[in-house]
Amino acid sequence: MSRFVLPIVLIVVLAGATLAGMLGSADGDPNLVRIVSSLPRTGSAKAQTDTIVNGIKIALEESGYKAGKFTLEYADWDDATAGAGQWTAEAETANAARAVRDPDVMVYIGTYNSGAAKISMPILNKAHLLMISPANTWPGLTKPDKGDPGEPDIYRPTGEVSYLRMVPTDDLQGPLGAAWAKELGVKRVYVLDDNEVYGKGIATLFIEACQDLGIEVLGHESIDSKAQEFKPLMATIRSERPDMIYFGGTTQSKGGQIAKDMIAAGLDCKLMVPDACYEEAFIESAGPENVNDRCYVTFGGLPPEELAVREGPGKAFVDKYQQRYGKMPEGYAIYGYEAGKVAVEAIRLAGLKDRDAIRKSGLSIENFDKGALGVWSFDENGDTTLKTISGNIIRGGHFQFVKLLGE
Amino acid sequence: MSTPRDRSFSMEWFYLALVLIYPLLVYPENALFRWTEISLGMQLTYIFIYAILALGLNVVVGFTGLLHLGIAAFFGIGAYITGILNVPAYPFQIGFFWSMVCSTLGAALLGVLLGAPTLRLRGDYLAIVTLGFGEVTRFTLRNLEEITAGTRGLNPVPPPVLPAALAPPLEAIGILPDWSLDYRLFYYLTLGILLAVILLLRNLERSRLGRAWVAIREDELAATCMGINAARVKLSAFALGCGLAGLAGSLYATTLTSTAGPDAFDFNRSIIMLCCIILGGLGSIRGTLLGVVLLIGFDNILAPMLDGMLQNANINPNGSPLLTFSSWKLAIFGLALILMMRFRPEGLLPSRHVEAELLTKRPLGHPRAGTT
Amino acid sequence: MVTCLLWADMDSAGFAQAFLQYALIGLTNGALFALVALGYTMVYGIIELINFAHGDVFMLGSFLALTLIGALAGLGWNWDDPAMLCAGIGMLLVVVPIFCAAVNVSIDRIVYKPLRTAPKLAPLVSAIGVSFLLMNVGLLWGGAADRHFPDLVSRQNLLGEGAAIGFTVKDLMVVGITVPIMIALTLFVRLTRLGKAMRATAQNPVAAQLMGINVDRVIALTFAIGGALAGAAAVIYGLYINTVSYQMGFQNGLYAFTAAVLGGIGNIPGAVLGGLVIGLARAFGSAYVGERWTSALVFVILIAILVFRPAGLLGTRTREKV
Repeated sequence: MSRFVLPIVLIVVLAGATLAGMLGSADGDPNLVRIVSSLPRTGSAKAQTDTIVNGIKIALEESGYKAGKFTLEYADWDDATAGAGQWTAEAETANAARAVRDPDVMVYIGTYNSGAAKISMPILNKAHLLMISPANTWPGLTKPDKGDPGEPDIYRPTGEVSYLRMVPTDDLQGPLGAAWAKELGVKRVYVLDDNEVYGKGIATLFIEACQDLGIEVLGHESIDSKAQEFKPLMATIRSERPDMIYFGGTTQSKGGQIAKDMIAAGLDCKLMVPDACYEEAFIESAGPENVNDRCYVTFGGLPPEELAVREGPGKAFVDKYQQRYGKMPEGYAIYGYEAGKVAVEAIRLAGLKDRDAIRKSGLSIENFDKGALGVWSFDENGDTTLKTISGNIIRGGHFQFVKLLGE
Repeated sequence: MSTPRDRSFSMEWFYLALVLIYPLLVYPENALFRWTEISLGMQLTYIFIYAILALGLNVVVGFTGLLHLGIAAFFGIGAYITGILNVPAYPFQIGFFWSMVCSTLGAALLGVLLGAPTLRLRGDYLAIVTLGFGEVTRFTLRNLEEITAGTRGLNPVPPPVLPAALAPPLEAIGILPDWSLDYRLFYYLTLGILLAVILLLRNLERSRLGRAWVAIREDELAATCMGINAARVKLSAFALGCGLAGLAGSLYATTLTSTAGPDAFDFNRSIIMLCCIILGGLGSIRGTLLGVVLLIGFDNILAPMLDGMLQNANINPNGSPLLTFSSWKLAIFGLALILMMRFRPEGLLPSRHVEAELLTKRPLGHPRAGTT
Repeated sequence: MVTCLLWADMDSAGFAQAFLQYALIGLTNGALFALVALGYTMVYGIIELINFAHGDVFMLGSFLALTLIGALAGLGWNWDDPAMLCAGIGMLLVVVPIFCAAVNVSIDRIVYKPLRTAPKLAPLVSAIGVSFLLMNVGLLWGGAADRHFPDLVSRQNLLGEGAAIGFTVKDLMVVGITVPIMIALTLFVRLTRLGKAMRATAQNPVAAQLMGINVDRVIALTFAIGGALAGAAAVIYGLYINTVSYQMGFQNGLYAFTAAVLGGIGNIPGAVLGGLVIGLARAFGSAYVGERWTSALVFVILIAILVFRPAGLLGTRTREKV
């Protein structure tokens, strides 16, 4: 009878799985090491994460999928769901738990969103699993006193550092952006943010720096990043006559719409945005004619456009990326690449298939020069020693490097 | 009438036994994990939580016939109450059990506050009010940063305290007495609460109140004429449904160790839950459970599994977006919904009541009483 | 905060000017919401279905408009020339609505029609399914990121360059296209035989059928008109807001549906009024309450209105038939 089909199938599957579980070895292949990444692969951040994954793949291909005696395997996990269209806490928790459970996983590359990192960091930390983020910039994840009370210790239940990142954090980018604004002659600024961990954090740091530098902050508003247009807000801002608008947010949280609604409301003052808008998609969504010559973008490290004209490992990476994927890498691709390189190096240095050994060797990396970012180390918090923030402008529909900030 | 019921009962015992012993077998979980990289046990824990949420929604929509499009808000309120009462940033720290009670009661109370002025609205107007309430709640959680920490969410929510006396017997059967290292503690905790909820609803369904709910759904006017106080009966369904959603939210925050962000409780979540109960069969407890297993299972278990298989098959060396599963996930999900409704419009496991009603097909334009 | 302080500081002339500016923005946006809301309300009026896929039909329409503009520019169409621009927009306003009408009618034919006698909530789930499906089509068509829609219509201020209040050619275009469409629709439903058939079907399908009205055809016609309106709205939306993305149908659909209910669902002038109320609420909310509360404010107003007018602004309370 049909009603018994499903129960019987279930019993057979369960019995088969039990048998397989008893016969199979629990530890897997001793020479196989898995590197996984957990990034939002469905929904609006997909374009950005595609480029990060491409960067990771190039790094692993260059190593020939080998680190010392180990064969490497890479899996690209999604922490977004179709239903939500963006990262979800459950998917990120599930990915972290999945990595912890899989005895072959030795390095976890992720996350893209700082909010997601807050959830997976403690889980991975308990398992001593090395986590490398190519994109999180919320200072509190690593730096004491720079985030919320209790951070970053609440993410480190074992008390050890297991989280590394190679992106300069917002406590550098926000203030340097404000200093640059002052150099550009800005006296009155209106600050907007997208109400997310990243955007709000960087906007707040920007405002604090403005107050120190004597730039008048006319107002600070959080937008709803699901709204379709901001014309009433722009009408309000226009009546304040700012020299510049600072938007702490991302392309996905309507950076492009802000740029074009400014123009639509007759506001042609400067616009400054942080690194999350450093992607072609930002210019494409804003419309080049709306941002040309008036939109300033800060970016952690040197952007691909500048690397491509400077001799060095950066140029080699950009060339390779273009050859491999037929287009310019986006801003974060290089961090994906660097994360991949660090992962390989940590495994090679450890020489053991042991999570804690790999975590320690990752943290001990000093004067790392195998990637594309130049020579740098991790500090005791797991942050990069690189403090390069570049200032860029959009010109002719493309990002153009202007100067290194803070130099 | 009695034979099919008895048979279905035996089937239920079978499935119950399956979910009860599955984690204890250890080997299937490990083998499945090695093949598919999905921890089925952990995903089942979430499914149990969503099942509680869906059962709550089913009380409102399925039993009582009130279209509710904002259940996620009550889920979120439950999660945030538990968060506020437990995270280190606040001085309360009242522990899991009492915060679960507070979440349930708090969500139920809010449900009553929303329901009292609006339950007299006709079907779809009520739907939009609940939808609106859901969005308002999400924005409030988002904007009241001093209380809810905005998009950062409240964390870490500590796990329940395990009575010291329980640790040795647990270890004896191979379960580690640490909530974050062994998924099985949360698995059995949520399963236990889910079973209690099912028992409660089973009994309520056959009680005076349960029959009053169904009477209101079938024909509000007739029910009122028979002496049922429609306002009170509807309000009780609303309170119970929202309270169960709050309970699920409390479990969600505890299991995740975080309240997640306000966007975890958006309209999308309400819609998916609604799809679960309609797909499974409105008003049917078994149907609701099946709907949750199918839809949440697709998003959380099948999709990552297929995604992993596609990647491992290495058919996509150039990274073409057309060959990744995530590019098609929405379409597959949508198509599945369309096809299932096309061939089983009454749901997969409709309640006997609805089934009987469908035998006499509703002619076009003669709306079912009680829904207009 | 800042806006509130500012409000207190401002002299009354400045306040009036700002108020007028917000009202203009609100009404223009509201006209767009109204156009989408009409599709919801008409379909609901006839088959009592909340057509969740409607917003996504609108989204597909805007992608078609975007693709057509690019293709025509590739063929040498000069969008900077005013005459060619007008002709081009005119053509878009014909082609895109036809496409959206066809999509909408096909959805009804394939998905909803077999469910006419099913329990009431079954088509709702199908509609959600169609919405996901169309979103995926949009994702494959336009990609995951926001796309810029070319800024074809001039932003020249009609009240003179440098005037305190901005009312641009673009704003005029929105009003100049949406208002005639709404008037035409109202006249069509009021005065023509088909319009009469639609109203009759909405009132009582069985009786309408007995009177010799082909109910299936009327339903198809309703979906066609609703789709065409969404198509027209898609073109105007693209030209006005200048951003399209595969997720835009969801959010706009939510507002449009809210507008339809606010006005009294099934009621055509009600949908227009609802759209305008929402547009104004958003504009004034942003100005006087705070940008981050605008969306919440829309729903607070909705709940408040429904508590006091349970059948929407223009809806009439139908007595339950026994």
